[in-house]
Amino acid sequence: MKLTCQDIVKTYGGKNALDGVSLTLESGKIYGLIGRNGAGKTTLLSILTAQNPATAGSVTLDGAPVWENRQALDQLCFSRELNINAESGLASMKVKDYLRLASVYYPHWDRALEERLVALFDLPVKKKLQKLSKGMLSMVTIVVAMASKAPFTFLDEPVAGLDVVAREQFYQLLLEEYGQSGRTFLISTHIIEEAAGVLEEVIILHDGKVLTVADTQELVDSARYVTGLAEEVDAATAGLEVHHAARTGRSKSAAVFLKPGQDLAPGHDVTVQPMNLQKIFVALCSGEGE
Amino acid sequence: MNEQLSDRTSIYLQISEMIETDILRGVLLEEEQVPSTNELARLYTINPATAGKGVNLLVDQGILYKKRGIGMFVAAGAREKILRKRRQAFVTTHIAPLLAEARSLGITRAELIGMIKEEQS
Repeated sequence: MKLTCQDIVKTYGGKNALDGVSLTLESGKIYGLIGRNGAGKTTLLSILTAQNPATAGSVTLDGAPVWENRQALDQLCFSRELNINAESGLASMKVKDYLRLASVYYPHWDRALEERLVALFDLPVKKKLQKLSKGMLSMVTIVVAMASKAPFTFLDEPVAGLDVVAREQFYQLLLEEYGQSGRTFLISTHIIEEAAGVLEEVIILHDGKVLTVADTQELVDSARYVTGLAEEVDAATAGLEVHHAARTGRSKSAAVFLKPGQDLAPGHDVTVQPMNLQKIFVALCSGEGE
Repeated sequence: MNEQLSDRTSIYLQISEMIETDILRGVLLEEEQVPSTNELARLYTINPATAGKGVNLLVDQGILYKKRGIGMFVAAGAREKILRKRRQAFVTTHIAPLLAEARSLGITRAELIGMIKEEQS
């Protein structure tokens, strides 16, 4: 199966939250969606799963539009980040009722998995959602995502509010479920480095546009952080894709992305360091590129 | 397989190096089964495709081999192969950076050789 979106535009109050997004998600991969606050991540996920209409553009599953298409929607799960406030209809709903609602909505629901995860996270099923901490609400969204057994499952900030042990537990759970089922997962997160190793492909969204879609390891392998005397750095990086160059006195630092077959010019006295995904993200999205 | 991953190089290279080190140290013996890609993925919290890339690198070098339907095994002679490979790489991985640092500190070849001779460990 393939989930494709093409030229998606979403306008809110005259401003483009998404500005021409095209993507193809293939079966059997774990994707990461990273972007700054307001980049359009949640909007994109809600449009991909037909929970929100696009202003323009199309979303198709194996060529069939997903909008109001029950057959296609049965293959998708978007487990939203739960933001409970007083006006929200969910505030007074009990955890177990929310899970029951989800079990009715998602046709492949795995009751045994739901029960196992509720026990694992020690979720208070009789409590109202408004009584839950941020971390516990995240756990509820994780239970829904996993138990939905949907071939394409989208998780929006699943680790928000979780402590470091629970976050590790989540990634273990994800890898276990992925190893057994081969389902496709797409995860958005701000805690980039913890997720980096798990993500086969990474999608970087910036100001409503797709900045990069890349094999995570290839992207990391292609990046170099070069520092030294400014003239030496310029000479070593001449003709290469440079981002986020910064000068401090005589010294200069630059994030460089090498294309296959490219390398830094040899023979210059510079320090070359690897970059992790988080540093790459900052270099690409902090808006000081050359 | 208890080392931790770092940022210093690609994850798949670190996975293949860790398996090699385990073979050198006798943690993994020849003709013994190595962890599956899914096991490696969960052990290091990495994508199974990345773990698979690291394992396949060793298959390509004849250090591991695949038994169909069972899994990956350490090949006979793997330990010898790894030793030979690491000895060959020793100049690039250890000697070259040593010389570069010596050069920028103004240490001459003769001084360096003297230092190596004096060093007891």
